[in-house]
Amino acid sequence: MPTREEWGIVLFTIRIATLATLLLLPIGVGVGFALARYRGPGKGVVETLVSLPLVLPPTAVGIVLLQILSRRNTLGAWLAARGIDVVFTWKAVLVATMVMAFPLLVRSARTAFEEVDPRLVGIARTLGCGPLGAFFRVTLPLAWRGVLAGTVLAFSRALGEFGATVMVAGNIPGKTQTLALAIFHDTQTGHEDRAMVLVAVTVTLAFAALWTTEWVSRRRTRRSIA
Amino acid sequence: MGVAAADAPVDRVIELAVDVPLAAFVLRVNGTLSSAFTAIMGPSGSGKTSLLETLAGLRPNARGRIAVDGAVLLDTSRRVRLPPERRRVGYVPQDAGLFPHLTAGGNVAFGARARRERVETAIEILGLRALLGRSPVSLSGGERQRVALARALASDPRVLLLDEPLAALDVGLRERVLPYLMRVRDEWNVPILYVTHNVGEALALAGEVLLLREGQVDALGAPLDLLSTEGLVRDAERGLENLLRGRVAAHDDAGGVTRVDVGGGLTISIPLVARAVGNIVTLAIRAEDIVVATEHPAALSARNVFEARIESVERTGVDVTLRCAVGRGPRPWLVRLTPAAVRAMELRVGTPVWLAIKSHSVHVV
Repeated sequence: MPTREEWGIVLFTIRIATLATLLLLPIGVGVGFALARYRGPGKGVVETLVSLPLVLPPTAVGIVLLQILSRRNTLGAWLAARGIDVVFTWKAVLVATMVMAFPLLVRSARTAFEEVDPRLVGIARTLGCGPLGAFFRVTLPLAWRGVLAGTVLAFSRALGEFGATVMVAGNIPGKTQTLALAIFHDTQTGHEDRAMVLVAVTVTLAFAALWTTEWVSRRRTRRSIA
Repeated sequence: MGVAAADAPVDRVIELAVDVPLAAFVLRVNGTLSSAFTAIMGPSGSGKTSLLETLAGLRPNARGRIAVDGAVLLDTSRRVRLPPERRRVGYVPQDAGLFPHLTAGGNVAFGARARRERVETAIEILGLRALLGRSPVSLSGGERQRVALARALASDPRVLLLDEPLAALDVGLRERVLPYLMRVRDEWNVPILYVTHNVGEALALAGEVLLLREGQVDALGAPLDLLSTEGLVRDAERGLENLLRGRVAAHDDAGGVTRVDVGGGLTISIPLVARAVGNIVTLAIRAEDIVVATEHPAALSARNVFEARIESVERTGVDVTLRCAVGRGPRPWLVRLTPAAVRAMELRVGTPVWLAIKSHSVHVV
């Protein structure tokens, strides 16, 4: 069984992943919807930028984040002036996992929104719904399975993020150490038995998340448009 | 059939003066629709559906002016462009467009202006009580159309736009949905614009026909006037039709015929129909079902023989179309013959002829 300290790591990781997912949800849904509906210049650039963290080495993303958030740069300095330190704190863990998980949510959401027949939205408008009402009463209810699948994927990604996190948040036990970082740390310091306990926990969490995704997408394919 | 109700005046008038750029051409419609029921007809791709979408506010590039019953929906010169949700237009697309995540009842009650009593009345008129809990995927084509129609009605529309509501249905289903449409027309005081390819439907329901061709208004007027004019009813399936409105004059049960007085001193015999004497009926006779004789045919099985005079001879595709003045009727009849027959009989303008039609070639629309 995991020790008290190990439970601490597990809880911290779940908290970070949950918070990252909750914060990402409105942004990811908004960007996914915009990409699904917008037709015009600049769309390709935005799409590529959003998906970039998927293909880059996570450590490279981490370095870029570190640069942006360090006090020597505008954003980091601006935050520091307001007493907000990001680098090497739990906030850095949050930022790193959000950036890495973002593309997974956006891509799922976008595909789900593209599947919604825009004529149904038009009909909702003729029936008296404003643009926002039509989104919440027609578009989102028809796309929710894809959005949920993307959310679960993003959550799983946030649970296991390593490369970007280690660069921007370090690996500080009790402060920024997540499950993935602790497994690496234990292995490096010869505590393979401890690492295996944590691996068992991650496997359980990942299995639950992925199984949910599979279950959701299976149900989604069964749905047909009337 | 309530034909008269279609001509009853409505206080609602639809003014149209719009330009809508489409992929192939610019849809340009100018006109005032004043009938309770206007059929929009024309070949595929002539802009019928786009016109409905323009009225509904779903064509953001439409320019010009649209007013329904004095309420301005669009006036680009005054920068007025009401969004769809403020137009109060009930739109039923060809495939019904039901929301698949809601039940039939949820669809009917969806509209923001769908107050309880309106929803109840719509459910009642369209006979949907038993279907309310069903999912749209489990409904038949006709049931979906009825649900979509009820959904549009329940949202308190100023005008109803129906895009071929019967086209996707087979003949049996068509006949079951048609009475519902007539009920809506007669009991709900909402003008209806109705896209259709079917001449019979237009004649049965509409008080006015708007004909579109490549985005332009080809004609606007009473269905009988338009639809029996040469060239307007020239769809491949049905061919040219002569349409005549008449009154049932008598039934001859022994002879197996009903006589219909079509005006101009003409009486046409048709196979017995179950319509009371005095009823108004519309008769259709295909142009190719009319036999032409240059002498009075003395011994002939055809029950209808009329003296006529050829007004014009026109080559139409592989055939020749004659326009013949018959009796004192207001419109010429169209007769289709092969060029060989026209040559052999030396038919030309002014030739006196006799037109013979078998009773069974006359159809009641």
